[in-house]
Amino acid sequence: MIITVASGKGGTGKTTIATNLAWTLAQKRESEQESPIWLIDCDVEAPNAALFIHPIFEIEKKVERQLPIIQQDLCTGCGVCVDVCEYNALAIARGKTLFFKDLCHACGSCVLNCPENAIQESPEMIGLLQQGNRGALKFAQGILEIGFSSPTPIIRDLKKWIIPDKPQHESTYILDASPGTACPVVESLRDADFALLVTEPTPFGLHDLKLVAELIFKEFQIPSGIVINKSGRGDEIIEQFASEMKIPILMRVPLSRDIAEAYARGDLLVDAFPQYWDQFIDLYKKISEITGERQPKQ
Amino acid sequence: MNIAITLSDNKGLDSTLSSVFARCPFYMLIDPETKIFTIEENPAQNASGGAGIKAAQWMIDKEVSGVISGSVGPKAHDVLSSAKIPAFKSKGESIEETLKAYLGKELESFFEPNVDAHSGIQE
Ligand code: SF4
Ligand code: SF4
Repeated sequence: MIITVASGKGGTGKTTIATNLAWTLAQKRESEQESPIWLIDCDVEAPNAALFIHPIFEIEKKVERQLPIIQQDLCTGCGVCVDVCEYNALAIARGKTLFFKDLCHACGSCVLNCPENAIQESPEMIGLLQQGNRGALKFAQGILEIGFSSPTPIIRDLKKWIIPDKPQHESTYILDASPGTACPVVESLRDADFALLVTEPTPFGLHDLKLVAELIFKEFQIPSGIVINKSGRGDEIIEQFASEMKIPILMRVPLSRDIAEAYARGDLLVDAFPQYWDQFIDLYKKISEITGERQPKQ
Repeated sequence: MNIAITLSDNKGLDSTLSSVFARCPFYMLIDPETKIFTIEENPAQNASGGAGIKAAQWMIDKEVSGVISGSVGPKAHDVLSSAKIPAFKSKGESIEETLKAYLGKELESFFEPNVDAHSGIQE
């Protein structure tokens, strides 16, 4: 099962929920000798789950893209490459090709179409993938290289690296998505069985929750559930939306100074406050029930 | 030799000068001496990215000897200057005024393409 933890914006406690859920399940499963739990930090622009998990990384993999390199001595200035480049990354001025790296999508079209074979490819690193574990919990993350602005291919490669094409039914992958509702979030939700939406009971929280719920409704049609973080005053606005949309509220984490302090220290909630242990087990149980209901009976 | 003037509408010699280079809807290609002109749609106007490069490439393909616009972006600047096509900041409200200023060499240049402004791409 793939569970993607998402939120319309940053700072709602998405990473708190993802890390604690994964950590709790991993320890429970270890004692029951079941298949491993994976936590995958898909927020490749600002990965921070590792700050709470403290994993030991064992394997690394580079993500590269192939950039065109034009051999000016072979180039006749015919202009074919300029015409085939969908992204306007090339120009020809006075028989000399100009290449604009920041517009290039590394699609390879110019390389394929150059009649003189004057364009070679050269790899450029755009990100790094890492995997390891902490105890029974398997952990993986992707890191976008500084200076690059396209996180989506890193997330795609990260998922491909960790999640097999046909994941075994009993394996659980918990994906910590990046905040927002843009392409990286769409990529993190692709193939997910369940979306766990973390929100705060404020008008802003509601606004962002609506956006992400809408995205899931339009693009994925997968079941989802809500976790209200900093719960307490104001829960009604989330409750009202949840009942309108028929999205269940699965868990509430109260607004509390102690929790905020534990977070600031980099402590996991379930380590600092063991009473949350059962709540996360319960959260997973509810998710399993919801996704189980939807599975076609054979 | 034609020069290109960026336009925000298509009303012949009464057209409005555009303040942008890459994403204006029309270009006037005009011979500043004879005033013979055509107005063409900008093929780069709706490009999702790299409009400046595409528009500048179009200027090169049309063999213009200069560009007059309210502004020129950095990428268009790179392409135009590599092609040694000078770009000038438009002046006044009308095509007539800005052309007069161009012929009087009164227009401010966006960059120094280190070539005489009227030699265009011939060498
Ligand atoms: S297609 Fe090849 S030969 Fe033609 S301009 Fe591009 S690099 Fe040069
Ligand atoms: S690889 Fe694709 S995007 Fe990059 S310059 Fe070539 S054709 Fe354009």
